[in-house]
Amino acid sequence: MKLDPVTLAILGNKLAAVSEEMCLTLQRTGRTLYVKETADFACALAGLDGRFFAYPRSIGVSGFVGLECGPAIAAVGTLEPGDVILTNDPYRSEGLATHLPDLHMIEPYFHNGKIVAYGWCFVHCSDVGGRVPSSISPVNTEIFQEGLRIPPVKLMKKGEMNPDVALFLNANSRTPDANMGDIRAMLAALAAGRRRLEQTISQHGAETVSAAAVDLVAYSAEKARTVLKRVPAGTYSFDDYLDDDAATRLPVRVAVSATFADGEVHLDFTGTDPQVSTAMNIPSRGRPHAWLTLRVLALVNTLDPTTPLNVGMLAPVKITAPEGSLVNPQEPAAVGVRHAAAIRVNDVLNGAFGKALPDVMPAASSGTVIPVVMAEPDGHGGRRVQVIEPMIGGTGARKGRDGIDGRDSGISNLANNPVETVEAELGIEITTYALRPNSGGAGQWRGGCGMELTFRVLTDDSNVLGRGLERLLFRPWGSNGGRPGMPGQLILNRGTEREKHLGKIDVLTVNSGDTVTFLTPGAGGWGHPAARDPQAVLQDVANGFVTIEAAASDYGVAIVDGVVDAVKTESLRKGMVASTAVNGQGVERERWDQAFPASVMDGLNRSLVALPGSVRQRRRREIFDAVLAELPEGFPRVAATQTAVNAARQRLEAAAGSL
Amino acid sequence: MQKSGARIGIDVGGTFTDFVLSNPNDGSLTYYKEPSTPDEPSRALIEGLQSLLKKAGMTSSDVGTLMHGTTIGLNAIIQRRGATIALVVSKGYRDILEIARSRMPSSFDFHASKEEPLVPRLRILEIDARLSASGAVSKAADDAELDRVAAELKALGVDAAALVLINGYTTPSVEIDMAQKLSEKAGGLSITSAAAIWPEIREYERTLVACLNAYIQPLMQRYFAGLKKGLERDGVVAPILVTASNGGSLSLVSAHERPVETILSGPASGVMAAARLAEAADVKSIITFDMGGTSSDIAVAQAGSAELATRTDIGGLPLVLPVVDVSAIGAGGGSIVWVDAHGLLKVGPQSAGAMPGPVSYGRGGKEPAVTDCYLTLGYIDPAGFLGGRMKLDVDAARKALAEVGARIGLTGDDGAALAAEGALAVTTAGMATELYKTLASRGLDPAAFALVPFGGAGPTHANLLAAEAGIGRVVIPPAAGTFCALGAAAADLRRDFVRSIRRSVDDKTAALMLDVMKELEDEGSAWLDREGETSQTRRFERGADMRYAGQAYELRVKLDENCRDAASIAEAFHLEHERIYGFRDTDTDVELGTVRLAVVGVTENISQPEIAAGSGKPACKGERPIFRFGKWVSAGVYDRSALGAGDQIAGPAIIEQDDTTTVLLPGWSARADALGNLHLERTVQ
Repeated sequence: MKLDPVTLAILGNKLAAVSEEMCLTLQRTGRTLYVKETADFACALAGLDGRFFAYPRSIGVSGFVGLECGPAIAAVGTLEPGDVILTNDPYRSEGLATHLPDLHMIEPYFHNGKIVAYGWCFVHCSDVGGRVPSSISPVNTEIFQEGLRIPPVKLMKKGEMNPDVALFLNANSRTPDANMGDIRAMLAALAAGRRRLEQTISQHGAETVSAAAVDLVAYSAEKARTVLKRVPAGTYSFDDYLDDDAATRLPVRVAVSATFADGEVHLDFTGTDPQVSTAMNIPSRGRPHAWLTLRVLALVNTLDPTTPLNVGMLAPVKITAPEGSLVNPQEPAAVGVRHAAAIRVNDVLNGAFGKALPDVMPAASSGTVIPVVMAEPDGHGGRRVQVIEPMIGGTGARKGRDGIDGRDSGISNLANNPVETVEAELGIEITTYALRPNSGGAGQWRGGCGMELTFRVLTDDSNVLGRGLERLLFRPWGSNGGRPGMPGQLILNRGTEREKHLGKIDVLTVNSGDTVTFLTPGAGGWGHPAARDPQAVLQDVANGFVTIEAAASDYGVAIVDGVVDAVKTESLRKGMVASTAVNGQGVERERWDQAFPASVMDGLNRSLVALPGSVRQRRRREIFDAVLAELPEGFPRVAATQTAVNAARQRLEAAAGSL
Repeated sequence: MQKSGARIGIDVGGTFTDFVLSNPNDGSLTYYKEPSTPDEPSRALIEGLQSLLKKAGMTSSDVGTLMHGTTIGLNAIIQRRGATIALVVSKGYRDILEIARSRMPSSFDFHASKEEPLVPRLRILEIDARLSASGAVSKAADDAELDRVAAELKALGVDAAALVLINGYTTPSVEIDMAQKLSEKAGGLSITSAAAIWPEIREYERTLVACLNAYIQPLMQRYFAGLKKGLERDGVVAPILVTASNGGSLSLVSAHERPVETILSGPASGVMAAARLAEAADVKSIITFDMGGTSSDIAVAQAGSAELATRTDIGGLPLVLPVVDVSAIGAGGGSIVWVDAHGLLKVGPQSAGAMPGPVSYGRGGKEPAVTDCYLTLGYIDPAGFLGGRMKLDVDAARKALAEVGARIGLTGDDGAALAAEGALAVTTAGMATELYKTLASRGLDPAAFALVPFGGAGPTHANLLAAEAGIGRVVIPPAAGTFCALGAAAADLRRDFVRSIRRSVDDKTAALMLDVMKELEDEGSAWLDREGETSQTRRFERGADMRYAGQAYELRVKLDENCRDAASIAEAFHLEHERIYGFRDTDTDVELGTVRLAVVGVTENISQPEIAAGSGKPACKGERPIFRFGKWVSAGVYDRSALGAGDQIAGPAIIEQDDTTTVLLPGWSARADALGNLHLERTVQ
């Protein structure tokens, strides 16, 4: 450290506050939904290397601490005071932007004619053109369908907006005014950062401030290493699946091996599926990118909440993300819904870390974020489009604590909508917005409950969108003997003669009188359910989180007349412990793994990723078509005979070997 | 109301219960502090009142009005020690409190947990009744349903209950009627109707208002009953008013009905007092700075009125009632100075509190606190703390800070002083950054404001904060240490009303808004009449939450008397939008969400008595060294009570009074005005 402990403490506080003040300015002056309600924006200060040394803790998107401005800065050449760089292109900014609706801006901050730092901010804007309104669709196959790509360009030159850039922007958006409003708010934020940094420099001197930028990163790196040293050395592997890639019925595999040694961690994503032909790819450029390292940041922050948020937290992290894979796609892969894959990346990191730190890490959270959208005819030939509720589930249980019911901040910490404001704007009646009893995975500590949303449609020819529906097949896993949460469901006209269970939907057309029910998955449990304190089970039953029947079947606790029957409970629990077949991932995953074992999948994916991009997906589909042909329709929801499973596995092994 | 009697303001704090008495005959003010009795707060109040009267040369029968602020409700909520209550909600919404707004306090902490719900799920009952968004009863509860719910309520054996129907805000009478029926059927159980108490759209927030009210009601009613009895025993029969979170006050009867309106009254009173003082001293825009033992708070007031917020956080729960917008900005006098494992100097958030307190209190505190830093640096006099009632151990403070200094390489004779100055620099930088953020979120520039400090440590720290934050002026009230009590004594009667109507602004909506406004005004006037308010000065403050169609959020817009048609209502919104965002959008419909009305019964102002003119150059009573920028400098020590109007002091100086000490830095000067305020101004840029 170059600075004394008092100065560093003061500047650590001040510089982080500069980034927060930038955020507050952006939030106050921005006026789109993404800024006001969902806080999908952030601001920070970057050093001369283009990496963030000061990042806001309490406002905006926390996860982008690891982004790098360097390539975007290098792309535009010499910078002058008043210049501001704009980009949204994940490929040309080398992973600074991670999908096209995120507009990123960088301003060089000068002192005495020299750049001393960069201000950075981004906003998820309303629309950048492309195939669909809002620019995001999971079934886009190339980035060209996702809207206008803005390579790093100077939006502002010496304080004046470049009119040519503005013309391009406005011509390529369905909401040019809203975008320009967001851009204005970002410029205001960058200016606020510039002023406050100037003031800080006038109080402490430029050299001291620059030294603080370096020291703060070193300080966080040291703290992160101290935390990671607590992790027992070793390699911990974990894999998990997305139900499918939104276009085909093929599950998508995410695999990681985390190697901890002496305060460092290496995350190796080899074994993860090749990039998909839909929009779920994560453009990481093979670096310790924000979307691949969220769980590491959260681990450091959980074990030492005083660590300043800056790039130093990632200093001990190394990454291997094979090029051509889901987690490091080649251009022009679509990336619009990269957060869907990031949820599962979080899950596998969580699982791997959990093997190393079983007492710290929770079981899987519900792992799904579904903005349930209604598009109903407005009577004038158009449609009113609005999110009814962003549906999530709960958080996984951990040692010593039940999971949280009906909340999950894993990937986005969105506020829900008041039912009354939704009903005031849409012609629907929300009849139930509640927790989903029994959905939390059983365990010594119970997983958080998922949720139910049921609404009655009051307008014919209404469209319901449920993008992000996940974990309908593969359940949120339990940990250390805990059971998985219940999978999600989508039901039309539940409890009537017209009841219909639907799978994933892109757009569902419904009519007046129909009811639509979304049930989100519960989160995983931790520890064997037979070890749960019977009084805790009784309490759950009294509160209605668990039914009396599930208390007996899942926990072996007999409740009679409102009290625990100790004798019956003992005998029930003896039976549970005797049947040792505890599967934390659920029966569907167990079946899948028999036909598609991890070791074979690792090898297969390694080979597939190495193939040229043009043939990769086709080869993969051929192989899976052949393997799945051996298995019954509906597998793995439907069980297969051992013979069929063996045949399937042999085909898979042969295919893997032939590549 | 006995107009001729003395007006007494009382603020019950964690350490002291403060009193201010305003004598109507000669306009004099009498201040008094009594150690608080947290186990039974009314004891200190009742006993202290007699001591105050004695000090003022009065008796119980001279008391005209008691204005009383209390944190009992707030503490009960934060510590979850309120009543056992039930909640009745529309079918399908049993988890309204569990789901809340669905957010976690941190997305970066695996071990974060959500706030504990005020009512556990097992005491939440569903009733098969609700309204539609248009205000129609889409599902009515028949007698059998009411009987069933009432029977279940009785079986739960609760102290009180709250009732919330989906869309109940549209037609409050439906829910009010149902609450009454349920209460009758459940043996007279007290049931708070959410639509009655706060008919604003947003079911979760409205539910919380009702639940919080029911939760603290029994406890507050017991407290007020005991207080009244105790006072009567001493012959004090004057009416008691309770201060409210919106900076106003309400009668004991109203406080019984709606205790939820009082929970943030303590800090609100201080801000209101500062707002009035600034107006009297002709200071337009102020930031109040209340620094106590555990934390510091700021608030903004302009042109004599404090800014209100309509969303605050109460122990993790959002509160949508209008309250004086107070923000915590960091450390208090008891915040602990420490060195982290990586060698960085830190202050707080742990606090030594009143027990054991800072090291210098000699009550067993081992870790140095901010107050120990003041002492070590010569800012406060160890013999003069609390008017000399408490001796401080300066050697112990120095020793503890020397140990901190040694851990970060500050050794030698001045190791303790260097550590103390470093700790105050860390503290002050933290406060300034929070202050910047608070003002940035409102688009305000701190340099345009004067800082008005109060609380025990406010005047001691104010100059440091002003210098750091680029604020050029500080106004220190007389009796800054008992400022909240003064604010209470001067509080107006005030109540807020809302009604959500959610419509596009057109002539029909304008007419509807006027009708609703009239209804609320009548309700407000009737309330003032009931409060026994007799003064002729009544004021209505009108406003509405509005937005452009399709916008995701609303702006709170003030509507003056002339906003009576669609065009002027829309224009008021366009102007506000322009002020905040720099442009207006005339192509989009303007929507009116919630109508707001505040009714104010203006209380006679309590003015600070004028002080005699001074010589201009007051004599100092001594000198002592203070430590600043790494060296000792000699500062003149002045007695605040000896200062006359117009007296000027050049920094560095120390100005002492019974309840606090003012530090005047080098490069700053102080001037006393005719009302006894001390104006600190930067003389060197």
